[in-house]
Amino acid sequence: MVEMEQLQKEAKEILKQGKVKFVIGYSKGSQNLTATPVFIKKPEHTSRLIWDPTCVQNLVKFIVDDKQKQSREKKPDERPVGIVVKGCDSRAINVLIQEKFIDRDDVYILGLSCEELGVVDEKKIAQKLEGKKIEKIEFAKKNNLIVSTKDGEKKIPVKDVLADRCLECKAHFPVIYDQLFGEETEREVKEPYKSIKKTESQSPKKRWDFWKEQLEKCIRCYACRSICPMCYCDECVADSINMAVTAETTAEEKAQKIKWIERSPALSENIGYHLIRAIHLAGRCIDCGECERACPVDIPLRLLNKKLEKAAHELFDYDVGFDHKKPSLISSFKDEDPEDFIR
Amino acid sequence: MTKDFEPTIVAFLCKWCSSAGSDLAGVSRMKYPPNVIPITVMCSGSVSPLYIFNAFQKGADGVLVSGCHPGDCHYIKGNFYARRRIALVKELLDFIGLESERFKMSWVSAAEGTKYTEIIKDFVKELKPLGPQKKLRRDQ
Amino acid sequence: MKKRIGVFVCHCGINIAGTVDVDKAAKKLAEHQDVEHSVDYVYMCSDPGQNMIKEAIKEKKLDSIVVSCCSPTLHESTFRKAAKEAGINEFQCEIANIREQCSWVHKDKEKATEKAEKITKSAVERVAKNESLEPIGFPVTSRALVIGGGIAGIQAALDIADSGYEVILVEREPSIGGHMIQLSETFPTLDCSQCILTPKMVEVSKHPNIKLMTYSEVQEISGYVGNFNVKILKKPTYVDPDACTLCDDCTEACPVVVPNEFDLGLTGRKAIYIPFPQAIPATFTLDIKNCPGLLPIACGKCADVCEPDAIDYDMEPEVVEEKVGAIVVATGFEQYDKEKMKEYGYGKYPDVLNGLQFERLLSASGPTQGKVLRPSDHKEPKEVVFIQCVGSRDPELHCSYCSKICCMYTAKHAMLYKHHVPDGQAYIFYIDIRSGGKNYEEFVQRTTEEDGVVYLRGKVSKIFEENNKITVWGVDTLTGKEIEINADMVVLAMALTPSKNSQELAKKLKLSTDKDGFLAEAHPKLRPVESITSGMFLAGAAQAPKDIPEVVAQASGAAAKAISILSQEQLFHSPMVAEVNETLCTGCGMCIDVCPYEALSLEQGKAEVNRVLCEGCGTCSATCLRAAVKVKNITPGQIFEMIDASVGG
Repeated sequence: MVEMEQLQKEAKEILKQGKVKFVIGYSKGSQNLTATPVFIKKPEHTSRLIWDPTCVQNLVKFIVDDKQKQSREKKPDERPVGIVVKGCDSRAINVLIQEKFIDRDDVYILGLSCEELGVVDEKKIAQKLEGKKIEKIEFAKKNNLIVSTKDGEKKIPVKDVLADRCLECKAHFPVIYDQLFGEETEREVKEPYKSIKKTESQSPKKRWDFWKEQLEKCIRCYACRSICPMCYCDECVADSINMAVTAETTAEEKAQKIKWIERSPALSENIGYHLIRAIHLAGRCIDCGECERACPVDIPLRLLNKKLEKAAHELFDYDVGFDHKKPSLISSFKDEDPEDFIR
Repeated sequence: MTKDFEPTIVAFLCKWCSSAGSDLAGVSRMKYPPNVIPITVMCSGSVSPLYIFNAFQKGADGVLVSGCHPGDCHYIKGNFYARRRIALVKELLDFIGLESERFKMSWVSAAEGTKYTEIIKDFVKELKPLGPQKKLRRDQ
Repeated sequence: MKKRIGVFVCHCGINIAGTVDVDKAAKKLAEHQDVEHSVDYVYMCSDPGQNMIKEAIKEKKLDSIVVSCCSPTLHESTFRKAAKEAGINEFQCEIANIREQCSWVHKDKEKATEKAEKITKSAVERVAKNESLEPIGFPVTSRALVIGGGIAGIQAALDIADSGYEVILVEREPSIGGHMIQLSETFPTLDCSQCILTPKMVEVSKHPNIKLMTYSEVQEISGYVGNFNVKILKKPTYVDPDACTLCDDCTEACPVVVPNEFDLGLTGRKAIYIPFPQAIPATFTLDIKNCPGLLPIACGKCADVCEPDAIDYDMEPEVVEEKVGAIVVATGFEQYDKEKMKEYGYGKYPDVLNGLQFERLLSASGPTQGKVLRPSDHKEPKEVVFIQCVGSRDPELHCSYCSKICCMYTAKHAMLYKHHVPDGQAYIFYIDIRSGGKNYEEFVQRTTEEDGVVYLRGKVSKIFEENNKITVWGVDTLTGKEIEINADMVVLAMALTPSKNSQELAKKLKLSTDKDGFLAEAHPKLRPVESITSGMFLAGAAQAPKDIPEVVAQASGAAAKAISILSQEQLFHSPMVAEVNETLCTGCGMCIDVCPYEALSLEQGKAEVNRVLCEGCGTCSATCLRAAVKVKNITPGQIFEMIDASVGG
């Protein structure tokens, strides 16, 4: 069991000692719903930190933001950032270190083990409530959620509303940390790729129909990209909206900018965008599910990444984010990599 | 209608093996259908997934990436990276429902003019019944 | 910026024009917005054809051209040269291959024409975005490093030195000479090995252009072709070669006896020793591993008796740094590990010898002064079994390859044995006899016809000692009979393997090795003496098992290749190399991981290209997620346009 008091105490201690410039963690949701990220700078505020299955966000994105902000500052505070991470989030940190975007010393990691649980899927809760508006969610004893609606309170076991990614999680405890809270409990995952199983078993036509319907919905708001801790490029190759133009950028460079996809949210361009995103996340996505959670039109984006996660595991014995000293999936190979698809 | 359909294939050929292999097919006066347009690149390892997506988006009915056999790469190991990268692209394209026949990879050495010819013949044969590739294609 | 492109469509007689409507194609290309001039002509590569291109460049003020013709492997350089002569940059010329990849492989004229137009348009799009480039020039250090002092290294060093270039010859052992100096006589002429090699060794030691570094090892190499920096570790010999008078008093005083490597353990040597009488350099070496100890001095007897005071216990290892322009790697071979060949009793029974040990027995300077005697009881063996392919051609258990020289040296061994013991009998177990080579087959015939050697086709199943004899069980697969020979001696033709530490050295030199650990050549047919690393060449058995004439030929070939570099004032490198857009680079280092040439490195958080090391393969470019690295004149932007042209957009 993760003792919340211990987490708060450790956060307080490192802030007091000035070991970190601030601590990024979770606090009670503003509308009494799921937890909300919080930046704590003062030791006395650490009591606001919470940990329960409503802590759905991957806070590593804030590390990326902080790093990018730092690079623009003249005299940045170079002390590490304290960050609360779950198992999946910790792997995001590993990938960032692997890609030399951050140094290990840039972060002080307060790792939380999900133990036998994980985090909830808000959509699954909504389904349980058959459309009734949630007024309040509280995490209660014995791993239950107490959800209040206008019709009163309802007790929902957390297990019934766990996010799919948690049900498929291979390592529900941090793989890199400075302090670990909770146990590294073993948990058998029978079907680590359950969510893509159905799509995989379908005919190409069915698969296409499914993705066509899904990707037609995309409005290209780029929420998936904005929330993704791995999408830290200054300029996305998929579009030139945020092209990094500096004083040195020549007119020729601007003209050379390739429009791999058009900006219009036409199906072909949406597919182009999501294909590029998926392939660029191959061997880098740690399945925190934030892209899917952020998507305003409910595209099951996780599945694309999960498919490549599975390919990496099954074809190349590569699991993302477990070892930052190893070369990346696509910048390495083995002599015995499969080639039965090659003629 | 599909009977008269002539697919367009974009073939990314590495300069040292596969392009040389296709040259040999020419020197040997082998015959294959004219549906394939070769783009010679330095190494199969230089073929970005973006090229493949882009070719389909621009209306290619089939895409081929061809390099040197493992161990024969002019650049020692470029084809090994290609093999891994292309495998991932293939998994992804299959997953979204593009017919797997539309995207192929091959090893063609400078001595394998015959193999190149066979690959192109078979590719065209497989693509014909599928009709035009419209899934990824940008509306014209 | 709009370019002024000229398109030149070649008929190649009817080779292209027979299948492609060249006139139509040229007219079609003329419609392209960047094309100023588009014509067809019967033979573009002819002088009039080239002149036509040159004149058009001048008259039409073209800044780039596309020649639509045969494969670029044939005439790219021709047309680039013509372009240069007409005053435009040679990299503003691209070839559209409409012969090998179009007219020759298609029949339907309409479709072939359409395809030829697409291929040409693709080249036009490419050249439209081509940069003018200049070959990258860099200076050359005109000295060579030869690693390995066997016959391969000796030959390469002498050839380079004779051409007037300085050579540093590095040898791991105390003397040069390698395995050849251990041999008795050489097939098929039966020249005495020492007699033909020692003059070359002396020449090495006396050559004004050769700096000989024995008892030394290459520690570290950096740099690139023309400009390598080498660190060489000079191990202490504890003997000053200039002071040493070769009086031999020290060896008599030395109390330590260890197996003599030169005689493969058939004799002993002292801890202070000279490997063999003709050793070069002619001096003693104190083998520190076997010396009772220098610090504190435990024995000191050798120094006590040394009159010229040549022994210096305080000698320290020394690291010498050298700059060289080319490197010849000739690290040689060794015999297959005896530990892996226990089934034949090697190392267990004293009278089971390997091929080199038998050479020493045959050698006039060997442990028995050239008499063939059994190591166990010094009796003359009357029946000797020679076994070929010991460890070779055995993909299941040992080496899958053929060691190439064993057929011939086994024939020689059997023949020489018969010359020494005329009343003896020699048997040879073999799989096949491979005697390709000048006068080799005749040599093998002589062993059977004149010397009565019995060849038995088959493998040996078991060898064991019984009643002071070595019993050999085998099968003659030609008659199907089981064979038992009670021999006095067995000689194993062990497989040849790369010399120990050669893997480690290969790593230091960034040379690739093949599946068996031999150094890999750049191309098995056309570049057999070059390694994949520019400026490093291979000679001798380090690359693959081979016999002496082949080694010498390859060494001279490697030397010639090295000289072709050393004789240049400047080397030039293709400017089609990778370049990094620092704004986009996040410093993830994936490009560095994939670069086969270690041409990329991280400098202050950004990838940086060493233009001399980069070969322009573009694997970095396809790996980079930020599109921050591209290869000049074949950029993603160019491919983007070429795809457009190819699908008819």
